[in-house]
Amino acid sequence: MSLDPKESAPHPRQEPRIPLPLSLENLERAFERCVDFSKRQVYLHGDSGRVATVCYIAGMARTERLNDYVMRPLAQDPMLASVPEGQLFDLLEKGALYAQEAKRETELDPVVLALIEGSCALFFPGRADALVIPVATEEKRSVGEPENEPALKGARDSFVESVRTNTSLVRRRLRAPELKVTEHTVGRQSLTPVDVVYLEGIADPETVARLEKKLDEIDIDGVEATGNLEEYLTDTARSPFPRLAYTQRPDRFCQGLLEGRVGLLCDGIPLGWLAPGTIDQFFKTGQDRAYHWMVASALSIIRYFCALVTLLLPGLYIALVTFHPEAIPVKLALSIVAAKQEVPFSTIFEVMIMLLAFEVIQEAGLRLPGPIGATVSILGGLVVGNAAVEAHIVSPAVLIAVAIAGVAGYTMPSQDFGNALRLWRFGLAILASAGGLFGLSLGCAALIYHLAGLETFGVPYLAPFTTGVQVRRGHPTLFRLPLPAMKWRDGGGKAYNRRNQR
Amino acid sequence: MKKLLPVLLTAVLVLSAVGAMPYPREMGDMALLRTMGVDQGQDGLLVTVSTGPRARGLQGEREPAMSLSAQRASLSAAALALQGLSDNYVFFGYVDQLLLGEDLADRGIRPVLDYFAQDVELSLGAQLWLVRGGTAKQAIEAGGDQGLAGRLSILRTDGEMGIAAIPRTAGEVYSDLMELGASYAPALECPDGESAPAELGYAVLKGDALAGFLEGEAARGLELLEGRPMTDVLEGWLPGGQVTARVTGAVTLCRLRPGDQGLSVSCRVTAQVVECEQPLTQEEIELFCEQIRAREESRIGEALTQMRGWGADCLGLGARAALASPGVWPGLQGRWEQVFVQTEPEITLRVELCQS
Repeated sequence: MSLDPKESAPHPRQEPRIPLPLSLENLERAFERCVDFSKRQVYLHGDSGRVATVCYIAGMARTERLNDYVMRPLAQDPMLASVPEGQLFDLLEKGALYAQEAKRETELDPVVLALIEGSCALFFPGRADALVIPVATEEKRSVGEPENEPALKGARDSFVESVRTNTSLVRRRLRAPELKVTEHTVGRQSLTPVDVVYLEGIADPETVARLEKKLDEIDIDGVEATGNLEEYLTDTARSPFPRLAYTQRPDRFCQGLLEGRVGLLCDGIPLGWLAPGTIDQFFKTGQDRAYHWMVASALSIIRYFCALVTLLLPGLYIALVTFHPEAIPVKLALSIVAAKQEVPFSTIFEVMIMLLAFEVIQEAGLRLPGPIGATVSILGGLVVGNAAVEAHIVSPAVLIAVAIAGVAGYTMPSQDFGNALRLWRFGLAILASAGGLFGLSLGCAALIYHLAGLETFGVPYLAPFTTGVQVRRGHPTLFRLPLPAMKWRDGGGKAYNRRNQR
Repeated sequence: MKKLLPVLLTAVLVLSAVGAMPYPREMGDMALLRTMGVDQGQDGLLVTVSTGPRARGLQGEREPAMSLSAQRASLSAAALALQGLSDNYVFFGYVDQLLLGEDLADRGIRPVLDYFAQDVELSLGAQLWLVRGGTAKQAIEAGGDQGLAGRLSILRTDGEMGIAAIPRTAGEVYSDLMELGASYAPALECPDGESAPAELGYAVLKGDALAGFLEGEAARGLELLEGRPMTDVLEGWLPGGQVTARVTGAVTLCRLRPGDQGLSVSCRVTAQVVECEQPLTQEEIELFCEQIRAREESRIGEALTQMRGWGADCLGLGARAALASPGVWPGLQGRWEQVFVQTEPEITLRVELCQS
């Protein structure tokens, strides 16, 4: 069934959104059938000849602020009743109200949007303008600990859902005025503020411009999930590998900015993204700079090793046991033969079933509330696994191989990157089932080809391991040098001012 | 990726079609062979294989070793026949112990080594033993329910630690035979009854056939010449009483004397006093060193005499000497075997003794 091109094409954005002149009546029309829209008439200092109408959205405006900053001065200030009518509006705009800001608006659109954001609008009879005063409520989750990136040694604050709180968390760490924050509105219906954060003079201006352009090009209804930004900012259709690193931790976010990356903060999402997201970003943790460099280096190498283990182990097991048994040490081979003799299924079937079971148990654990999820994981992992082995449905070696591969995957600091590896693990296992080590090698070659073809904001995805950006890389990627020796910014190879210390 | 996927699929399909893809086989159905013996039978080659101890199930219930034997005109035919004798798929990929019967060694072992070099599953990394005074089949069957694999593995490990004969792989013997025309391999004594096979010196091969066996003192002499002496305990009698020393090492250098005067062998033996009633004086040390020197020199002499008698420079002494005397070697290279046989080697031995 084909759609009519007129119907399938996106309808153009209407500018202005409400094509009506600014007036109290038109504002009421705009908020028609909105029970939370409120208005109140106030006599200025009790003078029934001078009436002002205050409009606001209940729940978005904070009652105490509205009363103290706006209502009280309007009702009690004697000067408002005595000042000539022509100067009244100017007096209110310049200081008669106790608000940090009072802005005169002459169009309906900004007034409507300001009300939605928590401001109140002041209308006077016979005037075609309004005074907008911010009295927004600040009800939001308080800054807590980053649950997904716990810190043993370091700051314990985490991004929250309010973008302005998040920018303040960044600004408190990077006090330089070179920290720039530009705001873009994404989503036709959600009108979500999305901030681009970067250090001027350090971040690559081309990356900033590219990111801002892509943000402005996003034409969707609303930003309700992280994918609403990630999938529009990077070309994720062809690859499961993430190309925007994200973090809950302001300190890690700031470290990224200091390396020359460009940050992204979105209202309603307690995360910060960093672009460009090259592959090494997904192996780093917020604690890398907190630990001693030798420990951090060892842990980094373990993480890279675990990535190979989680990716290759099931395929390698299938290839060796089914196609190349001579490559297995003799004592291990004897124990595999002994355990395999009473199992009715082929090794390939066993491994694929166990991989699937592992995913099912993991998914079930995630969907259930915390304590029940943990119980399901333990039941699934220990009881069912042990029972399956004792019932000769799977051999213990398969269970061990799949479990090691699964657990190794959890060492990935980035859940998105770990998920991509899990997906490729199935593909490699299938190729190993078809052609042994030959198939596995073919799969690995395809994976490298695929990764080498990816790009993130003009930077090759494998940039730490390639010379695609034509910039000499400052530091080794697999391990961390002592911090005094890390004199270069590694921000995806395109950092502007590369030297970071004497 | 759009371009790559069809290429990959095509490659997989094409390779599957031409049979280039490896063939899968379940390990649970396999009998993993560990030991292979080859004898000269009346109508061809007699091949005997054994698995070593096996286990079944999660608890690893022990099962007796599986032993199979087949006689055919060629090794390939015998190996194929073995497949038909077992309920399991007989897998040769784990054969790391090769026993050759004396009769076969008399005729020549080259065909067996050629087969090991060419077969997909077999490997020249297998340890090689020659069975003296019997057949490889007898030696393998002497392993009983446990098979011979465990015993031979221990002999190999002991040999690497210097407390048994020097272990040799089929590949080492094969390359020696091709480069030097002679080689040696540890010999096993064919047991009587059910006793486990034991080592009995070395078999010396010339061409690809058995030249003879070195045992006892001559075998120790070969080890000294190779620079890998077995940890040997030597007793000496001094005025102060009996003294015991352990040989800990040896370094042997070979040179060519100018003209046709043949080989000069210099050996430095290190030993450590392990038992003595009281600390030795300098005079007693010198006296004991002299006793050790005489004994070790006679061992080397005995080994060299037998090797010269067979005309088999199985240690490549000439080639080693050529490195030290490059000016002399070109004149001797073509007739080295003749010079080796006819010229008495000059042996110099020095002993370094340390007290613990």
